[in-house]
Amino acid sequence: MPENTPDSPRPERVTLFASCMVDQLATAVGESTVDVLEHLGIEVKFLDDQTCCGQPAFNSGFRSEALPVAKRFIELFEQVSGPIVVPSGSCAAMVRNYYADLFRVDEKMVMRANRVGERLYELSEFISRFFGTDAITGKLTDTATYHKCCHLLREIGVDEEPLEILSNVEGLQMTPLERADVCCGFGGAFSVKMPDISSAILNEKLDNIEANGSNIVIAADIGCVYQMQGGLRRRGSSVQVVHIAEVLAESIRNSNRAVNSE
Amino acid sequence: MKPLTTSFRTKAAETMVDEQVLQSLEHVYTGFFKGRLEAAGNTDNWEELRDKGKAIKDHTIAHLDYYLGQLADNVEKNGGSVFFAADAAEARKYVLDLAHARNIKTVIKSKSMVSEEMALAQALIDDGIEAVETDLGEYIIQLSDETPYHLIAPAVHKSRKEVAELLDDNYVEGDPVPDATELTMMAREKLRGVFERADMSVTGVNFAVAESGSITLVTNEGNGRMSTTVPRVHVAVMGMEKIIPSIQDLSTMLRILIRSATGQRISSYVTMVNGPRKSDEEEGPEEFHLVIMDNGRQKLLADEQMRESLNCIRCGACLNACPVYRKVGGHAYGWVYPGPIGAIVTPVLTGLKDAANLPAASSLCGACHDACPVKINMPRMLLELRYRTAEGKTDKDERTSTTRERTVWKAWRIGMMGRKRFDIGARLSRLFLRPMARNGWLKKAPPPISGWTSTRDFPLVSSSSLKARLNKRSKKAKS
Amino acid sequence: MTDRAKFIANVTSALGRTEVIAPPRDESTAAFDDVETARAVADRALADAASNAVELTDRMAEAASTIGWKVHRVSNPENAADIVANICDQKGATSVLRSTHDVLDEINVDAAVTSSGAKLGVTEHSGDNNETKITESKSAAFSADIGITGADYAIAETGTIVLHPRSGLSRLVSLAPPTHIAVLRPTEIIDSLDELFAHERNDHMSGNLAGSMNLISGPSKTADIEGTTVTGIHGPLEVHLIILEND
Repeated sequence: MPENTPDSPRPERVTLFASCMVDQLATAVGESTVDVLEHLGIEVKFLDDQTCCGQPAFNSGFRSEALPVAKRFIELFEQVSGPIVVPSGSCAAMVRNYYADLFRVDEKMVMRANRVGERLYELSEFISRFFGTDAITGKLTDTATYHKCCHLLREIGVDEEPLEILSNVEGLQMTPLERADVCCGFGGAFSVKMPDISSAILNEKLDNIEANGSNIVIAADIGCVYQMQGGLRRRGSSVQVVHIAEVLAESIRNSNRAVNSE
Repeated sequence: MKPLTTSFRTKAAETMVDEQVLQSLEHVYTGFFKGRLEAAGNTDNWEELRDKGKAIKDHTIAHLDYYLGQLADNVEKNGGSVFFAADAAEARKYVLDLAHARNIKTVIKSKSMVSEEMALAQALIDDGIEAVETDLGEYIIQLSDETPYHLIAPAVHKSRKEVAELLDDNYVEGDPVPDATELTMMAREKLRGVFERADMSVTGVNFAVAESGSITLVTNEGNGRMSTTVPRVHVAVMGMEKIIPSIQDLSTMLRILIRSATGQRISSYVTMVNGPRKSDEEEGPEEFHLVIMDNGRQKLLADEQMRESLNCIRCGACLNACPVYRKVGGHAYGWVYPGPIGAIVTPVLTGLKDAANLPAASSLCGACHDACPVKINMPRMLLELRYRTAEGKTDKDERTSTTRERTVWKAWRIGMMGRKRFDIGARLSRLFLRPMARNGWLKKAPPPISGWTSTRDFPLVSSSSLKARLNKRSKKAKS
Repeated sequence: MTDRAKFIANVTSALGRTEVIAPPRDESTAAFDDVETARAVADRALADAASNAVELTDRMAEAASTIGWKVHRVSNPENAADIVANICDQKGATSVLRSTHDVLDEINVDAAVTSSGAKLGVTEHSGDNNETKITESKSAAFSADIGITGADYAIAETGTIVLHPRSGLSRLVSLAPPTHIAVLRPTEIIDSLDELFAHERNDHMSGNLAGSMNLISGPSKTADIEGTTVTGIHGPLEVHLIILEND
């Protein structure tokens, strides 16, 4: 678990791993991630060849399909040095906690995977560890609540840090979400393979979100964001579900605008 | 108990529209789950205790053959008898033969999941012997001819009205429903007479201590104590993995079991039995029999990936933490063990092919792993079982994936193995889906993701990739 | 091959071995601690208890009260006897059963019970084990209104009293009657489950392990109906703990 005192030295350069979903569906999350990192004074490199970490196939049991994709990931990212940042707890967990299992018959690959994994961070983990949870003091006026994405919480061990980061956004009124640490029901392919169960779990989450009354729900994994937003839209709710990167990026833009207009 | 794992989806669907059962299931979260959190929070060295419990179980299972021998020797030294049962049928036959040989009229049962594997109560009844469940929850489901819904609270799904219909001889539809205290007192009265006349008992075993041949029972009700006191013959049935090496280990194991199961610091009763009654006692069983059952556990033991599941101390904490269990209910799992631990052991013990839906029914949220007093990594094992059902590498018979599924993932892999095709695939899908979308969202998506849009809107693929956008940015920055 | 040999051979082979080997020492379990260590651990537990009696008594009273014991702290045997008599009156007890713990003589429990008009029986071993005697004593326990015992140990961590059934202390006296009264001396109180099982292990290692043991922590209870906790499903509905602090 990252401590709340920033590690030194502070990185000046990181490589961004977007994740397949951010790369092709939620590009705004990717752009926001870059904005946030650049705001912290970091130069962000994007490896054009990236695709996916392989998690979807691995979680569905199709390891023979996941394996070459994961190998490709390692081959690509071991070409750069320094921290790798991904705006996703589940992708970070795949690389750090599950690549060893996926590559298990290949000791060399396990070692190579560990060497990449040990410098790969989820976004809020990266911010709190190297810059501190008070590093971003943006501005965003709204009522919001935070959903604790399961892999970020239990696989990566990031619990309160995103809340601490968000507490430094001026104007953002955070209220705790009831059962914040209970799953939203996404689970990757589970959401389409067993849609009725996934939706039953989601309904409880959405009931808690509506009872909370905030305008915005913030989460750190795009799969969870889509699960909750997709469900809220279907209910006719106007609640917006936003990725934490987007909240932070917008809060930074708002302060810059305020500064510029002074 | 005959496995009905193939009915998972149907039973799950039934539960998900049953408001009363869903309401009842909330108790496992608001009661047991919250109870465990509070108890853990009040225990200074909780994490240490979990680590120690895990270490004790790891050690025991790694030397199970040794400890089984030591346990059997010591039970016999104490004057008890030991029977090693290869499977449920052998175990059942032993108990039935014993009951007949001893002229038993009435058997009282204390809660035992292993005895459910054996379907023992019904077998005794079919053989003309009265067999009565004495744990209140088990008694209720025996009256309603059902199987247990939860490891600790077998009748958790029943409403008070349903219990009244089963327990209260005078209850008539439309009457005010008696409260829990009244119903409990009715059960007390009904079962009191049974306790007095019982001549044999069958109990489970929470922990069998190898170094002393002791068996330990954890209960709140007192039926475990009755069962080890009133009849002349006491049979304890256990899965072969329920051993711990030393009496001293009980302090760790009892702490983590009880706090994880109900949130209590200790249950009302913990009973340790070291053989049949001693010569200076007038009460207590004349005979003590320990039935040690395999019934497929050997498979879990031999399977390096799955061996960890034998560390389970049957506390139910994983069920209480599981968002899936709370929506599909205990019966969906189709056999004795529900919830995450059930999703792992049931397929291995009863057949992965029929039970393939069990490991699939998980969002891999990890709450079970978090909750487990002995830190069993259930998500890892669920993933292992999914690997076997998807690809059948170790056993082709275990593969249940459809050709369509395998094709989809093959296509996915091809699409992910190069950036160009990754981009082309995305842009093509947008081309295809855009006409169906409104404001960037789809109300109806095509297969393989059509399941999503039955209940949720699905986002449209972006018009250009992040790569394209970032490249544009840097071009702009340079100009 | 016997069932046992075959069974264990299967386990050995599932573990990837060809024969049973003695496990190497593992610090997680006390199984490798010898008889001297067991005695030392138990002695240390006793010594700690003796030097912390006051604190242990307070913690015991608190823990017991939290889990449903009705706790009475008294400073002399007469007060203890009065409480017993009061409970017998309150319950309208006609038949009371007691064990032969010393502390019950100390508080002259017999007089207290009979003064309330109840009949008193003692769970003494009759000397023979015939069917009739066994049935009689079982009946007596099931029809008694109150059961009274002392305690062999009490555990402050959990609010528990520990009983080892034996001649003079039946299994049913603290289980069958709807009310149980336990009379406790502070010297019987130990810190936690660790100390209890240290004593039990020491007993075992020196060949003196009791035939059975019951840890009793509050009244009998269940929450099997709609998650509502109800006391007295099979065991006592009401349990009283009288702590005799007269030293």
